[in-house]
Amino acid sequence: MNTLTIARFTIQEAISRRLILAGAVLSLAFLGLFALGFGLIYHNDSELSGPLSDTQAQAMFGTVMSVLGLYAINFLAGFLALFLSVGAISSEIESGALHAVLARPLRRAEFVVGRWLAYAGLIGVYVGLMAGSLLLAARLISGYATPDPVRATLLMMLAAIVLLTVSLFGSTVMSTLANGVVVFSLFGLAWLAGIIELIGGALSNEAMLNIGTAVSLLIPSDAIWRGASFYVLSPLYLAGASASHEGIPFVGHSPPATAMVVWGLLYPLVVLGVATVTFSRRDL
Amino acid sequence: MSLNLSAEPQAADVVAHTAIPAIETVGLRKVYGRTAVLHDLTLAVAPGEVFGFLGPNGAGKTTTVKILMGLVRPTGGEARIFGQPTGDREARRRVGYLPENFRFHDWMTGAKLLDFHGRLAGLSAQERRARIPDVIRRVGLAGRGDARIRTYSKGMTQRIGLAQAIFHSPDLVLLDEPTSALDPVGRREVRDLIRSLRDDGITVFLNSHLLSEVEMVCDRVAIIDRGRVVRSGPLGELLSGVSELRVMVDRVDDELLSALSHVADVAAVEEIGSEPGSAQRAPGTAQGATVTLAVTDLEIAPLVAETVMRRGYQLFGLVPVHRTLEELFMDLIEDGER
Repeated sequence: MNTLTIARFTIQEAISRRLILAGAVLSLAFLGLFALGFGLIYHNDSELSGPLSDTQAQAMFGTVMSVLGLYAINFLAGFLALFLSVGAISSEIESGALHAVLARPLRRAEFVVGRWLAYAGLIGVYVGLMAGSLLLAARLISGYATPDPVRATLLMMLAAIVLLTVSLFGSTVMSTLANGVVVFSLFGLAWLAGIIELIGGALSNEAMLNIGTAVSLLIPSDAIWRGASFYVLSPLYLAGASASHEGIPFVGHSPPATAMVVWGLLYPLVVLGVATVTFSRRDL
Repeated sequence: MSLNLSAEPQAADVVAHTAIPAIETVGLRKVYGRTAVLHDLTLAVAPGEVFGFLGPNGAGKTTTVKILMGLVRPTGGEARIFGQPTGDREARRRVGYLPENFRFHDWMTGAKLLDFHGRLAGLSAQERRARIPDVIRRVGLAGRGDARIRTYSKGMTQRIGLAQAIFHSPDLVLLDEPTSALDPVGRREVRDLIRSLRDDGITVFLNSHLLSEVEMVCDRVAIIDRGRVVRSGPLGELLSGVSELRVMVDRVDDELLSALSHVADVAAVEEIGSEPGSAQRAPGTAQGATVTLAVTDLEIAPLVAETVMRRGYQLFGLVPVHRTLEELFMDLIEDGER
């Protein structure tokens, strides 16, 4: 019950501080720009498609534009997750506003989980609406139907929730500033490890692949994104990429490993559990 | 000035009442790194009393309050609220708390803040709706409950903090510097509020630097220094047990001072009505003087009068002066520094 009270309080705070309004306006601007750009490129495809048939061109543009649009949304969702949660606990401690709240008959774990639930909900809605709208725009403009939009969207939500959870954990043990430095570094590290793993795969370099895997275990957000992106790629595009050994960087050209998905699902639960324990033991 | 003050909490104070104490700490310790903030802090607060918790900066007052509220874990010892460990949720349900820095979520209105805290305290929606206007009026914020806290002055923020502390009708209220941002009118209102809480049988634990205010509202006090209770007890007892006697005489000289020093400690001598360099003034004497004696009770007064008059001095007056809490506080703290 207290957990839901804190979640409700957190959402009210987001509304009151106009985070949701600002997010909605900027998201509409992003989607409008995407639709405009996609439409302009698509209607000039005769110059760009070269020897491809209409179906091939449609699949190619549909894939490229959709995956690039989702990649941007993945970044935006990641930043949103980090900005929302980087001071979710620490700033409350620093301001002293938390003291009166935690003096209530409320477990600290309830406060942490309530915050997490609210932010995870906001991020889930954000990713769902943005990805859904973007894929719908792509379909309306080009007729391109994403192979598995639900799985892609769910995995994107999971990637953002991984970042959210790491950041929330940092917020229970570090100052807002220190946590910001750490989590944005981890965000960049995960992205870099994804690149290293991609290049390692192309070069069949075992060491590079291992580095990528190790970092993915530490913070699996980018690996989950690559898994999500696979479900956006058309089979025609995949066949072409496989034949030419080329493709869009930053996306996964094979389905996500089950073990990675399981780890991605367990990861927020484990980190959230650790966050509740460390916060419960901390002096305020 | 010599004072006979015990540095140990008296056993009668520790278990002052047979009822379960509202607050009880036994051998409480808190160490941060290598720095010990609390050493063996033992005190008890009886239900229904207004208890003043005093000490200089860094004495460990706020750490003690935070331990009582479960915000800080003690290194050793025990702390209980109504017989329950401080982290106990049921115990915390009975407690209201105004933190020292009284910062609240400023995006909320005052009424929303109370609603949020009432919800966490387990009040029903109906109870919350009914209480909000009443409590807002009680702390002097009538008409401002629907304004956002960010628009409040510092004093108004402190008032809404008081409101959230008493909103759920707690049995114990811990107030950490509750009047630090208030003007004299606001301070008086808070004193009245504390008295009304006492009249309702609510225990108040008051941590304040404003000793005169503590003196006005508290039944008992504990003075701590360097993490230890150096003195505790009923306020009237603490202040009546130590007093001064001012002896107003026509003149003072070494003979009189010597005689008086056999009766009590001479704390101060103030010469009155003698012009420096006056031709009529003999060396070592003055025309009109007040000799202040440190005494432990006033039964000594007849002996003082007799000592003065038997030697031929004129006695104009004997004025007993009760010590203020501030004087007691300063003496205890200065004794601790020696």
